Amino acid sequence: MSRIFITGMGLISAIGDSVEENRDSLINEHCGIGHIRFYKTAYAGKLPTAEVKHTTDELNKKLFGTPDPSVTRTSLLALHAAGEAIRDSQLPSKEISSAETALVGASTVGGMCLTDELYHDARARDGGTPYLSSYDYASVTLAIRERYGILGETATINTACSSSANAIIYGARLIRHGFAKRAIVGGADSLAKFTINGFNALNILSSKICAPFDRDRSGLNLGEGAAFLVLEKEEDLNGKKTYAELTGFGNKNDAYHASSNSPEGQGPYLSMMEALERSGLGPQDISYINAHGTGTENNDETESRAMLRLFDQVPPFSSTKSLTGHTLGAAGAMEAVFAIQSLVYQEMYPSLSFQHPIPETGLVPVLHYTRHFIRHVMSNSFGFGGNCSTLIFSKS
Amino acid sequence: MPYFHQSVCISPQNSFPETDLSRIRESKNNWLEATEPDYPGIPAAVKRRMGKSVRMAVGASIPLLKKFPPPDGMVIATANGGMEDCIRFLNQIHEYKEGLLTPGSFVQSTSNAAAAQIAILTKNHNYNITHVHRGLAFENALLDVVMLLKENPQAGYLLGSTDEISAYNYNIDRIAGWFRDEPVLNTGLFEKPAKGTIAGEGAFMVWMNNERTAAQAEMMAVKTIHTVDPGLVLKTMEKFLSENLPSGETPDLVLTGENGDIRMAPYIDIVESYFNESVPVARFKHFCGEYCTASSFACWLAIQIVQCGFVPPLLIKKKGSRSSCKRILIYNNYRDIQHAFILISAVERV
Repeated sequence: MSRIFITGMGLISAIGDSVEENRDSLINEHCGIGHIRFYKTAYAGKLPTAEVKHTTDELNKKLFGTPDPSVTRTSLLALHAAGEAIRDSQLPSKEISSAETALVGASTVGGMCLTDELYHDARARDGGTPYLSSYDYASVTLAIRERYGILGETATINTACSSSANAIIYGARLIRHGFAKRAIVGGADSLAKFTINGFNALNILSSKICAPFDRDRSGLNLGEGAAFLVLEKEEDLNGKKTYAELTGFGNKNDAYHASSNSPEGQGPYLSMMEALERSGLGPQDISYINAHGTGTENNDETESRAMLRLFDQVPPFSSTKSLTGHTLGAAGAMEAVFAIQSLVYQEMYPSLSFQHPIPETGLVPVLHYTRHFIRHVMSNSFGFGGNCSTLIFSKS
Repeated sequence: MPYFHQSVCISPQNSFPETDLSRIRESKNNWLEATEPDYPGIPAAVKRRMGKSVRMAVGASIPLLKKFPPPDGMVIATANGGMEDCIRFLNQIHEYKEGLLTPGSFVQSTSNAAAAQIAILTKNHNYNITHVHRGLAFENALLDVVMLLKENPQAGYLLGSTDEISAYNYNIDRIAGWFRDEPVLNTGLFEKPAKGTIAGEGAFMVWMNNERTAAQAEMMAVKTIHTVDPGLVLKTMEKFLSENLPSGETPDLVLTGENGDIRMAPYIDIVESYFNESVPVARFKHFCGEYCTASSFACWLAIQIVQCGFVPPLLIKKKGSRSSCKRILIYNNYRDIQHAFILISAVERV
């Protein structure tokens, strides 16, 4: 079975437009969560979210010069991050477009970021907005496909908040089975009236900056962004620089409730366990964990319980969602990039807004930027519908 | 080698619980709505909360989950998930001006709701994924299971698809020009080619493993491509057939996703005309309508056809002269750019 390495990365989020800008913000504790400025909702000024600090027009001009009116904000974020990852991989454009390149995207919002336009088009007699073919999840992946003319296997995955972790897993499997030589994998989501109302109806949005793993945490803050990675197999590297090796992954279902984890975190436990088994590592080999850590009462306690069950000594862990917000379908790929950066630079990133541990579990996350020896790093993503996924990256 | 075992198909035609393909149900107002059973297997309280796409998927999976051991994973394809619930929530947002809303429709509208519901109802912790790549979601799910069965040769998987028509997504696609402006019956869909087609929906669930015993069909290969070049579609098919059929052999039936939309005709023509007169051609979208996972209905049809060796006459476009029907090539096209080939074969009995 081929070993899979990461040879390119791209990222845009509330804390920066590139992988390096994001790292700077993580190191300097620059939180991207704040007042809503770029999308229309009655919750502006009430619920903080983590916006990418550009208007949709700005993103469009930056990427297209002449703005393409049918491309949604979600797709623009995806194009931005995928572009950085592709440039970073230094693959020639002929190889990117070839039938041997797979593209696996992920999104949970897709073009529904245009909540008002969708409402209009669903009722219009004729005419309609320019977005008629851009509302679905696949539109995000198809925008990247079209820009690079990719002819290989192309897929879009939606497993809620673990979507892009599963995109990484699916891309790696396509390569291992010989259906692709390389894969561009990741996810994107943008903030929308639709999602903020949905999460608010579930009573899991905090009116303050989120405080993952804190005793007094009061919910999550939604965020937006995109992250993509380029995967290649060992045989094709020819001495090329790599960031890390994808050594393990797990996909399990909590099978408990549509929108909350089981009290003991069975899904999270099983998914971490499966990733460890696949990598041939033991719990003691994990140096650092990028936790799912949304800041909701349910997630942080159940994730903590799952970690306590699996690890005799829980490794240092952080929730970077305390800086980027919860970027839903982009979160798995985004946090995979953060996990890989921590391996490359041998460092751990802060979990902000933490004050008191949860009494029942007593776990304390990494509170400040810390240099640390890291050999294997784990990244967790758990979603609605019980979809739990775990990735393990190792030093290459 | 992956095999298809028992399957359930909820479609606009007579496909479940009894199958009768000798008759065709007619469309209404350019819609082919699924004929849903009563779903006695779904608890009433759970059923009430379910949107149609989730209900069809769960309903189709229950007979299989009762018959087979707990699946080692479930792989579901749906392009849109619960459209009706999505729009219901959207309406709430507008009606109540983003006030206090109930989360039910929001949760049901997420496209992984079907796979999630099946996992919850059966307390199944195994591999669970939802493919949503528009017109190729089903082919990607199928490829996922093919890979899973190589990774875990002893395992068994639930593969499925589900998509629903809603008044709203029908409207969006109609304005975009994908459905006929004038009323047309499915039974006359191919008579006057024009722009657009009719809408359909349905769910398909099948048990897959590597065991030939009791299998209903063999899954040979699947291939997808995005292109608007009919020449590249042909080249892709030639390569696909040469890699997966013995040299010089052709399929015994070509089953195409012809949908009466003239814009798809160049692709259908180039695929059909590649084969000589002896190869029969059949089509299926007048039976199921157009939707993102319609090729799963073709997959279900192919599994039925290779078992009895007989092609229902209502499906036939060109009779050909084959005496048996053991290997079927499905070609589907979704809105110009998404193309898919699936090869399904009768099970060789030793």
